[in-house]
Amino acid sequence: MSKGKKWLVPFGTLSEPRQLILLWISFTLPLAVWAIVSYVPFVWHPLVKIDDPGDVSYFTRDALIERTTFKAENAKLAASGGHIATGTPANPVFLPAPHEVAVAFYKSFTTPPKRKGDKWLHESLWQSIQVIFWGFLWSSVVGVPIGILCGTFPFFSRITEPFVDFTRYMPAPAFGALAVAVLGIYEAPKIAIIFIGTFFQQVLVIANTTRKLDTSLVEAAQTLGANRRQLLFRVVVPGIAVDLYNDMRILLGWAWTYLIVAEYIGASSGITFFINQQAKYRIYDNVFAAIIIIGIIGFTSDRILDWIGRQLFPWQKGVKKSLLRAILDRRRNSTQNTETANANA
Amino acid sequence: MQTLNLPSHLDQSPEVAARFSKLKSRPVILDVKHLNKTFHTHTTLNDISLQVFRREFMCVVGPSGCGKSTLIRIIAGLETPTSGDVLLEGTQVSAPGSDRGMVFQGYTLFPWLTVKKNVMFGLEIGGRSPVESESEARQWIDLVGLSKFENSYPHELSGGMKQRVAIARALANNPRILLMDEPFGALDAQTRCKMQSYLLEIWKRVDVTIMFVTHDLDEAIYLSDRILVLGTNPSRIMEVIEVPVPRPRSSSQFLSPEFLATKARLEELIHGTEEAEPMPLPKIRLTHAGDDVE
Repeated sequence: MSKGKKWLVPFGTLSEPRQLILLWISFTLPLAVWAIVSYVPFVWHPLVKIDDPGDVSYFTRDALIERTTFKAENAKLAASGGHIATGTPANPVFLPAPHEVAVAFYKSFTTPPKRKGDKWLHESLWQSIQVIFWGFLWSSVVGVPIGILCGTFPFFSRITEPFVDFTRYMPAPAFGALAVAVLGIYEAPKIAIIFIGTFFQQVLVIANTTRKLDTSLVEAAQTLGANRRQLLFRVVVPGIAVDLYNDMRILLGWAWTYLIVAEYIGASSGITFFINQQAKYRIYDNVFAAIIIIGIIGFTSDRILDWIGRQLFPWQKGVKKSLLRAILDRRRNSTQNTETANANA
Repeated sequence: MQTLNLPSHLDQSPEVAARFSKLKSRPVILDVKHLNKTFHTHTTLNDISLQVFRREFMCVVGPSGCGKSTLIRIIAGLETPTSGDVLLEGTQVSAPGSDRGMVFQGYTLFPWLTVKKNVMFGLEIGGRSPVESESEARQWIDLVGLSKFENSYPHELSGGMKQRVAIARALANNPRILLMDEPFGALDAQTRCKMQSYLLEIWKRVDVTIMFVTHDLDEAIYLSDRILVLGTNPSRIMEVIEVPVPRPRSSSQFLSPEFLATKARLEELIHGTEEAEPMPLPKIRLTHAGDDVE
């Protein structure tokens, strides 16, 4: 303990190697638990997978039988001197082992759908991503300006927020039937559910973020002669940009949680449809693969957005000038220089 | 304690007296008439009337809660008085405007703009072309000595540098009066000293009147032509002191008789009543009588 800092320091910082170690553990630990449950025979394995049915009439090869039933039947056979059944301990079909999921991960993209007209996995995924994209886009197009106005002007806050606050307690899926009646059974009602699920939260979250803007910046701008419009576009919007961007990342995560519900509505589609179909065929390997893919898409898109955010807001503490930023700055400076040259000429 | 034998703060050398008569012959820039401000039932400002002359440097001091910040914020237009008028060159003031620049105690630079863009802010929103505002801004950045940092972001600057940018940004707008609300209050003692002489240098070169709120009496004497002393309970103007210390000012004057006399008067006005009654506190955790420190 004398060497180096302790691992558990309240509100402290961890060195980069330690952060990496913990990142690694955070993913491998759940994986390890899964592997142990799957591969170590005595950990769970409540079933027996039949290798040789023996003389038991209803046992078939590869069937999954409760361990107690298996033992009872064998005990009967042993007593009557019949041919004893053999089998290996197994987990229920809904818990495939990691390697099975890994194989399914690859296969789910390469196997054609069982029924003609059903979608391939990548087609289902693409459908889902489009629903999320349009739902979130429409919500943001309306919600962000309203949120900023509510945060800036008490007038808009009073006239909007009580109703929004009231509506956000209505679960978005509750509007499902209505959405189908109004918008049909295909993509539109699904997009509407994402919209409803995101929009009301978005207005309140962004209004709050706007209210947290340092008022002394607003006052400084006022003493520099800024009018209402200039305050809004030159102080409030850039002033909250960083927090707004991070809010949007969190809200996008929420939009994903509404996806599954949205896709149940009307004609089931997208990744939800894929998962349901695979579950019906009892191909749980594929179900797991699909769920993990959603996680991967969400996680990587968030990482990408985080990276983009750091390029967009170079004025944040601790952000080094990135390559992209350097290019943007150089371009801007060169256009400015030509402007100056033109003005001089 | 030995009392120093100080002259009165009212004794002015002929040069200082001549300076003040010249100052008072200049036009009145700021005219505050019977200003009152009441929060709920608490009176913060009570019948404040004063005049500030063109190119005067006036400091406002007073015990905490005397409303010195409120006064300057009303002049800036950031707060509205309960009654009374603020006239800037004869025109009534009711909202913030670019004719009254302000420097705050907290660093209020826009974090998303570079130093240059911060200084250009007021010029651009005032309708000046980008090219024009840029060359104008450069001059002000030069004046505060930050040319090397014109493309830096505020978070890359020290506290003193940030306040220099804030001063440049306020002055770039060509305000009639520069209002400063404890602008050096958050700086360390050394930086604060440098900033004070810096500010005097800038003031010499620019046609601007300065009203400066501070709780640091040395700072007030060092900078001001006149010091407005506000009191509390009841809130009022206690005195307007004409600082008898000759200009140009330097830190060597901190121990001059005029300086100390002024400080003695300020101490008397501001802290005179405070020290009279020591607060009665119970002694706790003193196990031995011999542990007393006095």
